[in-house]
Order: sequence, then C-alpha cells, then structure tokens
Amino acid sequence: MLSIATAILAQAAPPAVTPADFWLPIGASVQSGNVDFMFNMINYICYFFFAVVVAMMVVFVVRYRGKRGTRIRTDGITHHAVLELSWSVIPLLICIFIFFFGFTGYVDLITPPKNSYDVNVTAIKWGWQFKYPNGAQSDNLVVPSDCPVRLVMRSNDVLHCCFIPAFRVKKDIVPGRVTSLWFQCNIPTGLEEKDGYHLFCAEYCGTGHSNMNRRVFVLPQAEFDAWLTKQAAWLDEIPDEELYFKAGPKIYARCSQCHSIDGTEGLGPTWKGIWTRITTPSGARFSDGKSYADFIGPGKEYANAEEYIRDSIYNPGKHLVATFGNVMPTFKGQLNDRGVEAIIGMMQHLDEFDAKGAYAKTPPAAQK
Amino acid sequence: MTTIDTPRQDVLDSTASTDNYLTHTRGFLSWILTLDHKRIGVMYTVSVLVSFLVGGMFALLLRTELLTPGRTICSAEAYNQFFTLHGAIMVFLVIIPSIPAALGNFVLPIMLGAKDVAFPRLNLFSYFLWLGGAGFTLYSLAAGGFDTGWTFYTPYSTTTTTGGVIPVLIGVFILGFSSIFTGLNFIVTVHKLRPPGMTWFKMPLFLWALYSTAIIQVLATPVLAITLCLLIVERVLNVGIFNPSMGGDPVLYQHFFWFYSHPAVYIMIVPAMGIISEIIAVHSHRQIFGYRFIAFSSIAIAMFSFIVWGHHMFMSGQSGLMNTIFSFISFSVAIPSAVKTFNWTMTLYKGTISLTAPMMYALSFLFLFTIGGLTGIHCATLNTDVHLHDTYFVVAHFHYVMMGSALIGMIGGLHHWWPKMTGKMYNEKIAITACIIVFIGFNMTFFTQFMLGSQGMPRRYYDYQPEFQIYHVISTIGSYILAIGFFTSAVCFIQSLMSGAKAPSNPWGGVSLEWQCASPPPHDNFKTTPHVGNCYDFSVVRWDEATKNYIVDHKAELAHSTSEGSH
Repeated sequence: MLSIATAILAQAAPPAVTPADFWLPIGASVQSGNVDFMFNMINYICYFFFAVVVAMMVVFVVRYRGKRGTRIRTDGITHHAVLELSWSVIPLLICIFIFFFGFTGYVDLITPPKNSYDVNVTAIKWGWQFKYPNGAQSDNLVVPSDCPVRLVMRSNDVLHCCFIPAFRVKKDIVPGRVTSLWFQCNIPTGLEEKDGYHLFCAEYCGTGHSNMNRRVFVLPQAEFDAWLTKQAAWLDEIPDEELYFKAGPKIYARCSQCHSIDGTEGLGPTWKGIWTRITTPSGARFSDGKSYADFIGPGKEYANAEEYIRDSIYNPGKHLVATFGNVMPTFKGQLNDRGVEAIIGMMQHLDEFDAKGAYAKTPPAAQK
Repeated sequence: MTTIDTPRQDVLDSTASTDNYLTHTRGFLSWILTLDHKRIGVMYTVSVLVSFLVGGMFALLLRTELLTPGRTICSAEAYNQFFTLHGAIMVFLVIIPSIPAALGNFVLPIMLGAKDVAFPRLNLFSYFLWLGGAGFTLYSLAAGGFDTGWTFYTPYSTTTTTGGVIPVLIGVFILGFSSIFTGLNFIVTVHKLRPPGMTWFKMPLFLWALYSTAIIQVLATPVLAITLCLLIVERVLNVGIFNPSMGGDPVLYQHFFWFYSHPAVYIMIVPAMGIISEIIAVHSHRQIFGYRFIAFSSIAIAMFSFIVWGHHMFMSGQSGLMNTIFSFISFSVAIPSAVKTFNWTMTLYKGTISLTAPMMYALSFLFLFTIGGLTGIHCATLNTDVHLHDTYFVVAHFHYVMMGSALIGMIGGLHHWWPKMTGKMYNEKIAITACIIVFIGFNMTFFTQFMLGSQGMPRRYYDYQPEFQIYHVISTIGSYILAIGFFTSAVCFIQSLMSGAKAPSNPWGGVSLEWQCASPPPHDNFKTTPHVGNCYDFSVVRWDEATKNYIVDHKAELAHSTSEGSH
C-alpha cells in the first residue's frame, strides 16, 4: 500500500507552475506539487467525513423529530462496541497514513540539496536585506532558476518569518540563531514587479509587519550572473558628488518607515531640519537631558556631526532623542561607508527632495 | 398510586417556588459577599458576557479596518493593539472562564445534588481574582495599551514601547489563579460531594468534562504564571531569560507559553463538549450513545493536551525530530474528537428530537466543530502546515474551534440552563432566529478565511495585497451579520428577564438532578440529598400538557435503575 501511494506521489510530480485554484495560489517551486497533492488529498478526506457527519445529522433530525408531547421512543441502542471501535480505529489508520506522508514530504521540503546556492538574509524591523556571495545586496530577492537556493536567515531585532506562498516554504527567523529554508524554481519571472512572487513576513513584528513584504524574482543563470555583477557595484559606480541624490533616495526607502522628511511624526525623529538641529547648540534634546552640543564638537564624543550620524546608524540605542523609544535596529553590516555618506549628504540637502524622498531638483550635472 | 405521577415534593413545595436563590437575601452586599455557587455563577455569567461584548467590539473594529487594503479607519499601531486586545480578552476573560466558572459553577453542584461546591469561600475568592485580573487588563489600556499579540512573544514583548504590557501580564497572572482555584474546587467537589448511588460512570457527561478541564487548569496554569513572571522580570529588571541580546532564548519562551496555552485550548473546548453531550441527550430524549467512550475521550483529550504543544512551533526553529514527534502526537487528538462527534450524531438516531434553541446551537456546534476539527488535520500534517502556519487558515481553524465550538457551546448551554438560572422562559422563535443568523454570519466570516490563508495571506496583517480584498469584504460583512445574531440573542434574553413566562422545573425533559429542583433553584438546592437514577434514561420522562412541564416518573426510574444494577 505504501509503495502504491509513493508511486502516486511520484506521479503527481509537478508541472513547473501549477495555476491558482479555489484553495491554493500559484505553485512555482519544485516542492509545491507534493505539498499541493497532500493538501488536496486531506481536503478530499475531510469532505468525505464532513458529508458523512452532516448527512447523518440531517437525516436523523428530520426522521426522528418529535414535538413536545410525542411519546418518547425507547428503542435506541445505548452503545455498540464494534461501531464505536470502528470509528476510533479507522480515523486512527487514516491519521497514521496522513502523518507518514506529511512527514516524508516535510523531510523533502526542508532538506536542501548539497549544491544549493546560498543567499544571506537579514530580517530587520521592517524590511529585508538579501546579501550575495560576491557582496551584492538587494531589497528584493533575486535568485537563479533551475538551481536549488538556500536562504540563510538572521534577525537583527525580534522574531520574523520568511514566507513565500508560491514556493510553499516558510521558516521563522529567530534573533540569536541562524535558520534556513530552501527552494528551487525552474520558471524565470524577469524583474517586472508584477511578475515577482510575494515574500511575506509571517511572524508578527510590530507596526510595519504587514508592509514587510518583498518580491521574489527568478532569472536564468546567465541573466542572474549579470544582475549580480551590476548589483555588487551599484554604490561604487556612482561618482562621489552624485552619491547623495542617486543612492540617497534608494537607501532612504528603508529609513522612511520611521523617519519622515516633511516633519510628519513617525516612530523616529523627522529629518526635517535635522542638520540645523545637530549643528546648533540649542538643537533638540536627548532623553538624558543633554543637548547635541554636549557631545558633538572638537574633543567631545563625536568630532563632528557626520561622526554622530554615522554612529547613530550603527549604534542607534546610544543616545535617544527625547520622547522617542529605543526601537531602531542597527544597520551595521548592511550599510557601508558610502551608504552612510549618501544618507548624510541627503540630510544636508533635504530641500532638494520632495516629501516622499524623491530627488526633486534637476541634477547639477544636467544643469551644466 | 397517584404519587407516581406527582413531581418531586420539593418542586411543588410552595416555599420552594417563592423562596429561591435570587430572592433568598436581598441587596448589593448579599450578592457581592455571597457564598452561593449559583449567585457566583450568575455574576461570572454577567461578567463574561460583558467581556464578550468588549472583545467582540474589538473584533468588529478589526474587520472594519480590513475592508480595504491600507488604512480604512485606524492606524497600524491601533490595529495591532486591537487584535492583541481582542485575543487577550476573548481568551483570558471570556472563553477560559465562560463554561467552567459561569455555567459550571451554577450547574455542577446541582447536578451532584449538593448544596454547594466543596469550598464556597475559595469560589468567591476566584471570582474576585477574576475581577482583579480584569481590572488590571482594563488598567493596561489606560497605561498605554499593549501591542504584543495575546501570545506575548519575546523579544517583541520585552522591547515594545507600549506602556500597558506589565499591567496586562499581571492581570493574566491573576486570572490564572482564578482559573486554578475554580479547577481545584471542582476536582474536590466531584470527588467528595457525589451523592450516594452516583458512581463515576453515572455522572452526567458535563461533569466528566468539567472534571477533565479542572485537571488541566490545575496542572497547566501554574506554568503560565511562572512564564509571565519571568517575562515581567526580563522586562523590568533586564535579566536575560528570553532575549538573545542578553543571553536568553526566545524559543524557550514559546515552549513555556504553549506548554500552558495548548492545554488551555482544551480548557476552552472540553467543557463545551460536555454541554453538547447534555443538550443532545436531553433534547433528543435519548440515552447518550456510547457514554463510556465519550467519558474516556474527555480524559484522553485532557491527557493528550499536555504533549502536543510543539505543533505551535513547527516553524520556530525547533528540530525536525521534535516537529515529527509533535506532529504524530497531535494526530492522536483526532481520535477522541472523532469518537465524540460520531457518538453525538448517533445519539440523534431513534431519538425524539425537539428542535429547541439549545438543540439548534448543539447542531450548529456539530457542524462547526466538524469543520474546525477536520481542518486541524491540515495543520497537524507537517508539509502542508509549512504553507498554512501563521496564515488566516490557522485563524479560521481556531475560530471554528474556539468560537464556533467553545463559544457556541457556551451560548447553547446558556439557552439550555437559562430557565433554570432565571426562572423565566425566553421566546423560542427569536432565540432560534438568532441562532440561525449567528450560524450564517459565522460561516461567512470564517470560512472565507480558510481560503484567504491557503491562498497565502499571513495573519496579524494591517495592510494586504489587493487580490485578497474580496475575501476580506465577505468576511467583514459576515462579521456584521454575526454581530446582529448575537444582538438578537441579547434582545431575546433581556425580553425574557423583563416579561418571560415562568419557567417550569423541567422545560426540556431532562433527567439529571438539576431538572428535578425548582426553577430557579432554592437557596440550598435540595432539602434532602435526592435520589440518583440513570441520568440518561429518558423512558421515565413524560410531557404534562397541563403544567407545560416534563415529569420524571420516579418509581419507574427506581425500577429501571435497580434492574440495571442487578445485571
């Protein structure tokens, strides 16, 4: 019986993409077919038992309905050992059967092949950073097709969970641990936003939890390699003087969840007027009562405002601006020196950006 | 002899019908300082229903917010607080105390023919603890609310800046002790106060259910208390227990939390199963099918409940071996659940079924519990759970069990014992209409959520992808219908209190002891310890048109029970 069922499962090996149906979304990984087969099989078992219970219920209620005053029947049996044992033992056997295939399917689902391509994932309130072996970084997950991909995941703050419905994979990301999941998708999607698969955070992590979603793009190996090379160099390719308006808005997209640039209140201080606040002694105060002037300046903790901003990005809990909580995660390892430089440049030239952080001026180069 | 047809002396006794537990003493203090299990039961019932109203309001706010992607009526911060409050209130203030503390308190001693529970003062103390816990929970709102989710997962719960976390943790800690003391009380009462002749296997099944529940309450709840203490210690004193940045382990917290909270699921559902056993038997006027299997399945569920907690953590990073073991054991819960479901259904076979309001709720329960139970299989199966974990599929699954089963069971029980508790009948037509509205609204709200989840919508989401909107709209409309249903039910009860017909002692035709004492019961329940027969032998019951009451023929009952005892 087991061998027959295994054969059925093998038969059910998926076509590359199974379209969405009443219950399940598009299935696009090599593993999704088995999961869907199992899901549908359980469904049919459930339909059957549900129909049996409801049919018995309806038939008996209609057949044996007796208004008040009807003589009470006394011919019903009180128990029936064979019947009761059969509806204990049959469900037990079915359960063991489902458990077994759920278990073997699970082992396949979570065991990555040896030759998998590793992507490092950092989850952080409320975004994702995908890091590749050549040093490239990306906000969306881009992976090669026809190749098993393993996500090696860390969290910088609280629990998160990586969930890609189309691939039927999910795994919690636990601070202080490294967890992983793997998948393989054989159908390239291109880099169009609408073609990418959803990647969700599935473990509640606070205010921005529901916006902590990205896209997964699958590229043929050659295109992927080209993308990877370009991606690794994107910050370095931008000339220094253009860094703040070319790289700034891209990086700010992450910061914008908490820091506005138009003065709107957020989880963190607004950037509006930030450079003036930092560089004048009467600027905003910290929760310990000190002002900026107490530790920025020659001979003080930070020699200059740039130093202070840099440290606030890497060690955000060190000095808290009054009334704000210690909620910002560190960006150490995610934002290199040029990235920080771009952010500082953007803060210094905020009037050149619109309320959403897009560059609103004609670039200096074009003015010439 | 005419005495055969005469109901029990204490029912007809004129003092019994004028002096009842409601009129025995008067004044606010006579209620708040009462040691009478019936009054404590009534106070619990009112408190739980008020909490249900509050928790339900939060649910409606959530559903309204989810009508559209992005902002509909409130901010993400507010939404996160609402779902946290909805969960915490419904679990700790409503469902856990609803059946044992509210209905159980009222019914358990009467079913045993006892005057009260074993420790009446402890019982009152439990109620005050409940009030204290509810007070802290309420205070946490004033202190800034909390957005941790009802599960208080670390390290989010120890680092979030919302100010109400500590008060609510203290509140839940106190509520836990309320639950422990009620459980303790029931265990001792069932052991010590059973009347002569009522052996374990002659107890009404509701008592088996309450007894099983009480065991879980006493054994599991202390673990929650310790866990919450550790959480408070970590948050206040910065001692690293669960937070990895201080050397702790967040997965340890999940083990501790679910070691209580999974058994707590059965604290919620097992008493409802007990109520359904009573309602189906009484309103079908038919010996419950397979008494022993049902009784043992309650105990089996209580035992299994302690060793399946890991299925909440399949994705948490616990080892694959652990997942496999927990998956296997989780399936074992399916067996006693299946046994109960089939036995209830078979009880209808060759019954004499009255389609009363309680029976309608019991049938709703059967329908909804079957769906809730069967969808548990998807979640217990390892590879399908990977896809479904932390999605709306799970939300739908546990609402079918916690609300569609546990709460519907509670409401059904309330309809069942309402005439006994208040001495008033309610308008059956309105009550049945309310039940049907609730049934439709419930399925509309939560069945769509199965599809949402299996299509990949994660839970606890304030914002969502546009393709999910149609499901959310249907679900929200369903929740409004559900609210209308409960509102209709409330109107029905209020009308009953104001102008309901006087309830006879036995309006449904039950045989267990509570139907043999007046409605409402006198202060001491029974003047003398009553005679105990087979509480599911309905051949001794007949309808008396003159008094609109069912009458239990005690001579026949006695004859039956002795003939049963002889073989």
